[in-house]
Amino acid sequence: MRGDLPLEARGLFSKPFKTLGIALALVCGLAALVYQALGAGLDYALVLSVFATRFLGIFIEAVPFLLLGSLTSGLIEVFVKSEDILRFLPRNRLGATLGGAFLGLVFPVCECGVVPVARRLFSKGTPVSMGIAFLLAAPFMNPIVFASTFIAFGFGPVLIGRFIITVIVAVTVGLVIGSLAQPQAVLKPLALRRDDETHHHHHESTPSARARLFNSLQIASDEFFEMGRFLILGSALAALMQTLVAQDSLLALGTGSVLSVLFMQALAYILSVCSTVDSFLALAFVNTFTTGAIISFLSFGPMVDIKSTLMFTGVFRRRIVLYLVLLPFVMNLLAGSLINLALGH
Amino acid sequence: MKAKAEGASVDWIAWAKSLILFGMGIYLALLILTGKLDNYINQRFAWLAYVGAAIFVLLALVNLYGSLRSPARDHDHHHDHDHDHHHDHHNDHHHYHIGWDILLIAAFPLLLALLIPSRALGVEAVNGGVSLSPVGVAVEGAFRRDPLDRNILDWLREFDRAATPAAFNGVPVDVIGFVYREPRFPAGGFMLSRFTLSCCVADAFPIGMPVIAEEADAIEAGAWLRLRGKIEASEFDGAFLPVVYPSAIDLVGEPEQPYLYP
Repeated sequence: MRGDLPLEARGLFSKPFKTLGIALALVCGLAALVYQALGAGLDYALVLSVFATRFLGIFIEAVPFLLLGSLTSGLIEVFVKSEDILRFLPRNRLGATLGGAFLGLVFPVCECGVVPVARRLFSKGTPVSMGIAFLLAAPFMNPIVFASTFIAFGFGPVLIGRFIITVIVAVTVGLVIGSLAQPQAVLKPLALRRDDETHHHHHESTPSARARLFNSLQIASDEFFEMGRFLILGSALAALMQTLVAQDSLLALGTGSVLSVLFMQALAYILSVCSTVDSFLALAFVNTFTTGAIISFLSFGPMVDIKSTLMFTGVFRRRIVLYLVLLPFVMNLLAGSLINLALGH
Repeated sequence: MKAKAEGASVDWIAWAKSLILFGMGIYLALLILTGKLDNYINQRFAWLAYVGAAIFVLLALVNLYGSLRSPARDHDHHHDHDHDHHHDHHNDHHHYHIGWDILLIAAFPLLLALLIPSRALGVEAVNGGVSLSPVGVAVEGAFRRDPLDRNILDWLREFDRAATPAAFNGVPVDVIGFVYREPRFPAGGFMLSRFTLSCCVADAFPIGMPVIAEEADAIEAGAWLRLRGKIEASEFDGAFLPVVYPSAIDLVGEPEQPYLYP
């Protein structure tokens, strides 16, 4: 889906140095693991085995959700025309923005798939506030994400908090940007351009249903590889932290009512893990970090992270990209800290 | 167009993709068949692994079929009949550019699974001590369980709701767990421990019951024991706690179900 973006964004995104950099960090982490193990006189093989169990545990629990997300994404890409759905949404600004926040329910994309779809919606004349609310909320407004959050945390404060904060932040940021700036000041010309090349869609619909299904499965497997690397690197980092870093030393960081939220949001931004599986990574921090930090990790991460920021630059003007990162960051930080205060952390 | 020129060469990346997808499917299937899945996730969610394995195999077959049908998959073969400049923009939104770097990362879990023998979390994985607090919410029926049928988690729940640690004096126990020691524990003291698992090992949390048995000092940390004996409230690690005084200590292997599910 990334191909929907202009070349400059794609170039940034796919430059090998990024993956290489992350892989290098992973190797460094493993080296540190070995060093730590030798230094503490621990059996190196045992520590590695604990790391493997923790890493594979997160991966095994999460990967079915990533696969389901990839399948959905492939099916949407091939079978659904985003513009058809627009007709059912309210016309006034608040209604449309709210509608945008919940649009993900009929359009289950994760944060990797949401940017191209949002771009397509903008090119069909979607109001800015609605498009942004969709962009920020859709990665969570997804039955698969509900399911994975439910399996990880059950029906409780985390699932409910994640839902409420996502809606509030998405709608607010949508309304703020939508009412303060003209579409020309928000969107790049390419995203703004009316997409009248309908002949594409005509010949898109010529292949047989079986060929299209086959095509959607191929897209799904590519999507799995593309997104899987973030899951794998994220799981490895979480498992490394659990194995390496003494629980006591994380405690000061994890119990601060604001500091813990700040840390988890920064982590969410860096890890860039798909929203379908981030709940399982969050589990790794449940024993040490405040509830507010866990909820903010889960509500902020799907809105903005390294990979979605790069994708934003293909659709929005630079200043708006900055707002799209900072506004959700500050609002989630506030929400997470307030939750911690309310819970008495 | 470029792919056309290389039409004769084999698309190794496509084959590697199929191989990794198959490998993942087979790995999940093997975990299910050998019962090793229990080392990683809560039994309650084992069905997720079935779903995962099925989708992996399906995707592998689709990729394999794609490779066999057109050995070097041309990324724009759908639009061969029509090559105007729009299509350069249009057709590649169906495909990521999966390179060797991504495949290497995707193969990492398989390599780890292949090279490192599967093991449940044990005493080495305890980070920051073993907890005396029960995890999760107990169903009401758990409290009516016969004392000899209670596991460590059941016991901690009983302790948690009792008015005084002395309430269990003389009650018989029969529990299984691994040995965890800290230097500050009293002579002969250790915690008989288990990891609890709510979802997967990411949330694994070590809990344990205090035990005092001078004769167990020779048993190394991490060993799995079955203890039968009685509870007596005593000083342990600076607190007055219900402590197990075993009359029989049996070395047992790691149970088939290494974790407790709250």
